[in-house]
Amino acid sequence: MSDAAHAHDDHGHGHPTGIMRWLTTTNHKDIGSLYLWFALIMLFAAGSMALLIRAELFQPGLQLTNPDFFNQLTTMHGLIMIFGVIMPAFSGFANWQVPLMLGAPDMAFPRMNNWAFWLLPMAGLMLMASFFLPGGAVAGGWTMYPPLFIQGGISYDLTILAVHIMGLSSIMGSINIITTILNMRAPGITLMKMPLFVWTWLITAYLLIATMPVLAGAVTMLLTDRNFGTHFFNAAGGGDPVMFQHIFWFFAHPEVYILILPAFGIVSQIIPTFARKPLFGYASMVYATASIAILSFIVWAHHMFTVGMPAAAQLFFMFSTMLIAVPTGVKVFNWVATMWKGSMTFETPMLFAIAFVCLFTIGGFSGLVLAIAPVDIQLHDTYYVVAHFHYVLVSGALFAIFAGIYYWLPKWTGHMYSETLGKWHFWLSVIGMNIVFFPMHFLGLAGMPRRIPDYALQFTEFNQIATVGAFIFGFSQLLFLAVILKTIKGGVKATDRVWEGAEGLEWTLPSPAPYHTFETAPVVK
Amino acid sequence: MQQVKLDDCEGGSAGAFVFQSRPNHSLTRTQERLVFWSLAVVCFATAISFAYLGYWLILPFAGLEIGLLAWAFEALRRRAGDYETLMIDGDAVVLEWHCGTRDGRREMNRQWARVVCDCRSPGRNCRLSLSSHGRATEVGQYLSDEARLQLAVTLRSRLQG
Repeated sequence: MSDAAHAHDDHGHGHPTGIMRWLTTTNHKDIGSLYLWFALIMLFAAGSMALLIRAELFQPGLQLTNPDFFNQLTTMHGLIMIFGVIMPAFSGFANWQVPLMLGAPDMAFPRMNNWAFWLLPMAGLMLMASFFLPGGAVAGGWTMYPPLFIQGGISYDLTILAVHIMGLSSIMGSINIITTILNMRAPGITLMKMPLFVWTWLITAYLLIATMPVLAGAVTMLLTDRNFGTHFFNAAGGGDPVMFQHIFWFFAHPEVYILILPAFGIVSQIIPTFARKPLFGYASMVYATASIAILSFIVWAHHMFTVGMPAAAQLFFMFSTMLIAVPTGVKVFNWVATMWKGSMTFETPMLFAIAFVCLFTIGGFSGLVLAIAPVDIQLHDTYYVVAHFHYVLVSGALFAIFAGIYYWLPKWTGHMYSETLGKWHFWLSVIGMNIVFFPMHFLGLAGMPRRIPDYALQFTEFNQIATVGAFIFGFSQLLFLAVILKTIKGGVKATDRVWEGAEGLEWTLPSPAPYHTFETAPVVK
Repeated sequence: MQQVKLDDCEGGSAGAFVFQSRPNHSLTRTQERLVFWSLAVVCFATAISFAYLGYWLILPFAGLEIGLLAWAFEALRRRAGDYETLMIDGDAVVLEWHCGTRDGRREMNRQWARVVCDCRSPGRNCRLSLSSHGRATEVGQYLSDEARLQLAVTLRSRLQG
């Protein structure tokens, strides 16, 4: 209640239209859409870089790029895919779905939400613009290791600034998500009644807040080493470049789980819907997610077995890494148990979810192989590692994003997508993805190093197969864009519940979900 | 717009109409402490460990971030006690509200109070206020448009009766 003579709140008449609507919006659905569109644009940008990399690697020798530009492409592909595609896409899902799943009218801090998003395009623009600066973009790998990163040109400073901005955006987004989940649950939604997607995001946001200062500090120390004469990581001045790796991976290993936990959440929503059974072992899923998050803080040095460390440390990091397989195994078991004897149908979201379970497990197993210190010493910096993390991040995170988009798109747009086109997209993606990345295991085992534009003749065939797969996978994403645009434009009207087996508050709303929802909190029994 | 907990009840003296609404607030003090301190301890333990090794620049970022988190929880706590109460008792119309750190109270005479509802259709930011002697006081800020329209109808009937 406020005195209208001197106080006006947000009851302003007439929303801004056109570009101003999107610049000033504080609506969680608008901001969710912005995140998802940004991620899609960045996916095509970083995907194009990947295709250029694969085109160069089609045969030995240098064809399309020079070594420095090749290194710029691999670095920017990694940075953009992680910070510009996967993370923003999951933030988009969180913005759309968390309030709808909890019966909340919006995020806890809507204006901060707007800020958190609009920082991202600025950072993305800086990263992309660095290609046109003297010396080109950063070329030392997405891990930004010194001394290479200390020696580069102006684009390295710009990248540090972009990383800071993206970090700030992530922190604001995470604080918003944590406060929304904790404070805006409708009456009756206790923590252990929350949908698993919300749980995974709560834990993801916790990880982000816990690790972001480490990244911010690390890149700031790089910046001061580069410009202000400090020697944190400069061996010539008494610094320790290996310490950067420890600091970086202390952030970046939890970051891997930041990239995959929301994917677990999406898949945990989809499988019960299309198996028409409740999720098997809900509580164990929550505890497994939390266990993975906790363990992620004590495994960082498995990325650095080759830098040299005491045998006891190698053993510790080896066994702690293997321990992560236990809660991950619990999850895979529960997804399979949910499907067991379910009344299953295989719409596109379910196909992507099943592909996720199968292929992510392959990525997990190759991770276990890499966790064995003596094996890792052989395979470090080979294509085996590239195969491993692409099985985790492409068939893991990206496939979960595809699954989530197909699953909730009818709720967002009010129209059903074309199942035929969706299935074409699925099969081309899953076949293309395996053609690209499976041969990389063999290349790595045979000793082909990563991040090198040229290679010995014996690696040619597998590289050619991978390149063909990359183009199939890459161009099939145009089909995905076509599906989205077609669904937004029109199509069969979606029902409120959309999927027969769907459970949860978001399915009680009309399709498309109205601009304002749950202004009066529902009571959940 | 916040969520609402709506208590439409008869209260005050016999026959008085009391309507109270407040935003939904599911965060308990224990949860808040648990989340805040667990994050603060992890962040500072990490930052202090690295600072001890000479890499002190993580520490200010940890401080800034935990400061932002503290501000966010503090902002939520400030809003936790927000409410609006509207009471019609005989000829007295009493509005009371607590919003953040501000408290307010206004009394009107039932004969002079008018319901002003500016709403083309639900979902278009309807505004509801009570006006008397040329001064309007907005009510129902925690309500949805539909609930505001419903309240407007109830208030008109109560003020006429």
